[in-house]
Amino acid sequence: MKKLLAILLAMTMVMALVACGGNNDNANPSPQDPPETEDQTPEAPAEPAASGELTLWTYPIGDWGKEEKVKAITDAFTADTGISVKVEYLAYADGDDKVNSAITANAAPDLIMEGPERLVTNWGDKGYLVDLSDMFDDTDKSEINAAAMTACTHPNGEVYEYPLVVTAHCMAINLNAFKEAGADQYLDLENHTWTTENFIKAVDALYAHYNAPVGAVYCKGQGGDQGTRALVNNLYGGTFATASHDKYTWDDPKNIQALEQLKGMPGITFDASLEGGDEIKVFYQGILKMAFCWNIAQQLNPNQADTGAGLTANGEEIVFMGFPSENGTPALQGGIWGFGIFNNGDSAKVENAKTFIKWMCDSEHTAEAVKTANYFAARSAAEGTDLTGIWTDNEIMNEYQVLMPYLGDYYQVTKGWAGARTEWWTMLQKVGEGADIAETVATYAGNANAG
Amino acid sequence: MKIENSRSRAYRIASIIILVVLAFLFTFPLYWIVTGGFKNGADINATKPIWIPTEWVMNNYDKLMKQRSVPLWEVYLPFGSFFNGGKKVLLTAGPEAPAAIRWLINAVLMCVAAMLLTCLTAAMAGYALAKKRFNGRALLFSLIVCAMALPKQVILIPLLKEMSALHLYDSLWAVIFPTVGWPFGVFLMKQFSESIPGEILEATRIDGASELKTFSTVVIPMIKPGIGALAIFTFINCWNDYFMQLVMLTSGSNFTIPLGIATLQAETSIDNGLLMAGATLAAAPIIVVFLIFQKYFTQGITMGAVKG
Amino acid sequence: MARPSKPTMSRALQRRENISGYLFMLPSLFFFIGFVVFPMIICIITSLTDANMHDPGMFGNFIGFSNFARLVKDVDFLEALKNTFIIVIVSVPTVCAFSLWVSSAIYKLSGPVLSAFRCIFYLPVVTGSVAVTVVWKWMYDNYTGIFNHVLKGAGLIEQNINWLGDSKYALWCIILILFTTSVGQPIVLYVSALGNVDQTLIEAAEVDGANSFQIFWQVKWAQMMPTTLYILVITTINSFQCFALIQLLTKGGAGTNTVMYDIYWTAFKLTEQAGHFGYANAMGVVLAIFIGLLSALQFKLAKEK
Repeated sequence: MKKLLAILLAMTMVMALVACGGNNDNANPSPQDPPETEDQTPEAPAEPAASGELTLWTYPIGDWGKEEKVKAITDAFTADTGISVKVEYLAYADGDDKVNSAITANAAPDLIMEGPERLVTNWGDKGYLVDLSDMFDDTDKSEINAAAMTACTHPNGEVYEYPLVVTAHCMAINLNAFKEAGADQYLDLENHTWTTENFIKAVDALYAHYNAPVGAVYCKGQGGDQGTRALVNNLYGGTFATASHDKYTWDDPKNIQALEQLKGMPGITFDASLEGGDEIKVFYQGILKMAFCWNIAQQLNPNQADTGAGLTANGEEIVFMGFPSENGTPALQGGIWGFGIFNNGDSAKVENAKTFIKWMCDSEHTAEAVKTANYFAARSAAEGTDLTGIWTDNEIMNEYQVLMPYLGDYYQVTKGWAGARTEWWTMLQKVGEGADIAETVATYAGNANAG
Repeated sequence: MKIENSRSRAYRIASIIILVVLAFLFTFPLYWIVTGGFKNGADINATKPIWIPTEWVMNNYDKLMKQRSVPLWEVYLPFGSFFNGGKKVLLTAGPEAPAAIRWLINAVLMCVAAMLLTCLTAAMAGYALAKKRFNGRALLFSLIVCAMALPKQVILIPLLKEMSALHLYDSLWAVIFPTVGWPFGVFLMKQFSESIPGEILEATRIDGASELKTFSTVVIPMIKPGIGALAIFTFINCWNDYFMQLVMLTSGSNFTIPLGIATLQAETSIDNGLLMAGATLAAAPIIVVFLIFQKYFTQGITMGAVKG
Repeated sequence: MARPSKPTMSRALQRRENISGYLFMLPSLFFFIGFVVFPMIICIITSLTDANMHDPGMFGNFIGFSNFARLVKDVDFLEALKNTFIIVIVSVPTVCAFSLWVSSAIYKLSGPVLSAFRCIFYLPVVTGSVAVTVVWKWMYDNYTGIFNHVLKGAGLIEQNINWLGDSKYALWCIILILFTTSVGQPIVLYVSALGNVDQTLIEAAEVDGANSFQIFWQVKWAQMMPTTLYILVITTINSFQCFALIQLLTKGGAGTNTVMYDIYWTAFKLTEQAGHFGYANAMGVVLAIFIGLLSALQFKLAKEK
């Protein structure tokens, strides 16, 4: 025991010395130290060449959140260019906080992968990102989806995101359950759309059959909130923000009508213990018969019980659907994802990061990068490679194309976006608790517009 | 008198029953974690709880090990970034390994370092506060008492900036140092040191022993149970300090196992089996530490507290 | 106190005590001042400014007490403050009472049984906060959690209760988890405190005809006062460490926001309101003042005792 104690003490002393020693070095660097470190640097194995290392932080955008897929593509990039890439994977749940605290600690990554609502309206707007407009020539501009290009451009003219992929967010239903409850008659399975009237009938039929909520308006946090927004907006044709993206329009009577409708349906529950991801879990378990947080990557993803893609944990068939709307033509929420570059004051790194973006988003490798995301390419062609046909061999992807024409306004770039999202789910929580709907919506819409 | 006895017996029996039920409830979460880690996909996703796994599988652990891969270890030159333009100086890196293992190693290293530093500094300071009549002692002690309950969120922003300035952000030291600075240990050690008889210290001094010698040969042995208790206490606390880990550590190779599991939850909140496997891994080390040092803990912590 | 025979020390002796005292304090002070006191001072200073994350400088402009004036009117903050107090005020006494009861019920049991019980009640503490939170999240689950399953099976509830999503329950659910992770140490402490009670006093009381209840309160309880105070202190500390629970379970929604979480939110969440470091620090200062007062109160009680 005594010996152990002595060893422990000795170790502690050494550590304390190392710590204090370092501090002193900082205050008045001793003459021997710098050469010593220079000796160390070339030996460091993490830096193979002078071309340096990039850090990329990526949100889980399709398989860009899965290491084995991302590693394959970044390794190819490294082999090609000699620039190594260190990838960190963010979650939507706390990724924003991580980036913000890293910015505060002057430790932001070099590259970040997300959509315009964060890159343009937030970090770009606050001046943390590098303007990428010199990366787009006329050919690029003609190739890239115009809506995506607009969304990636800040009102001041600077471009903060190089778009890679786009998709439309949709919802999903458990076809077996619908059939069992006799609700499949309300679905247009050909076009993957349905009307509000049919949606209400279907939910009622399902509720009558299962005697439990079959759909959840999740509102624990902002994760997957595109689903709840699209549901509320589409039901009676309301909008989320003005077309000019300067004001939130939740207090539109059509939205209030939709919320009142949803609140009044026994088959729909307002659940403040779920986020989008949790909702998907419960949907996979076969408890909820529909999920509002869905898109093509989700449709292609095998579930966690490994029963296969497009199936629930007990093997029931999942069908993607547009959101219900009065005339059956929904306005779907788009997702536009790409890369932004943090300005860390190192021009060499910025150049490397631009090389990375060029390699991923505008080269013969783009098809691979797009496929990694499991979404559609944001451009028709890249440096001569046609990108429109990359999914022809994928049946589900092809079928999903029917929803793409319904892509609606990309309003996520409205001023005060991040704050508005918080107001949105808080509002849903209050509505779920039974607060007066018109009044609540007015209050929170007011907050969103003030923010 | 008779009635009293039968009543108290009834009370005793009732209380034993309640205790057994409570004991069951207190063990249940751990049971649920461990069994959850070994359940197959169907059991995990069943709509009704499956109390005992229908089959015991290692799937979840396999999945956990495949989540990420990072170097098994990386040793950086301490404070190397000061002379290398803000970049850390890597001395050696291990082979690629499943991140969960690295996270486990990180967490253990972090907690052991915090534990050793805390025990040493707190034992010295506690002894001084209890036995040395230096000026400003009362003031220091009040400061320590007031700061004891302070949650770290209060100093979050300044601490973050400080760690960034010291180039410690995204390193385990950023979690270790504030843990060591937390004055509860000093308070605990002071309580222990109060019980050292002044005469013994006096006698050693008269014998001509130096202060350090007195401390290491007389004081340390006398407060050993207290140090043992503080060691476990610090270890557990550091392990459970999710907040500091969340804020200070950003790269996947620097995560600790609790932070890693929390991150997995955020990413794949849809897979309870994976999470339970991770939680088992995150719980195992401290349970082992606790069971090994349990004796010191129960002895040590009570001595200090009962002294008041 | 310890050496009343020497009320005044000679100057040389005092100097020696000063030097050796501070030398012994030095390592500890290095960390304490460096990583607690210094950030706290910065926190107080920035709370009087409009500092935010987007400014390059550490401090923004001095704006006096307007952050605090804003706090008083901030509904979210006031709710967070209220919740923080509910957590402390509920969990501290219940933890004390519960652990006292458990200890008095088990301290006379035979050795192995006693230590088995002690270990069991300690388990949630050593399982680790994240692991505990993850499993409780699953147990509370609205659709597949065992709570709803068991309660429904027992016929106590008709519809599933949304434990973490309903503001009627969420805060209490968090307090319950906090409770299970807090009672371990107090039980260990009380068990040995009860074992150490002076037997002669108990016998004397029995001779005087006191019943077991009176013996408990008048003899044992009085003797355990120091332990109780110590337990109060550590339980209070513990109650303020509920960040992981809130971050991982509710994200401050469903009426579970606390000041600790609000600070984090205000500092780093991606909203236009976020990054207001001055404001977040002002919250921290308010919390620190309350905690300081609470600690001072507890120690004043200890002194009087």
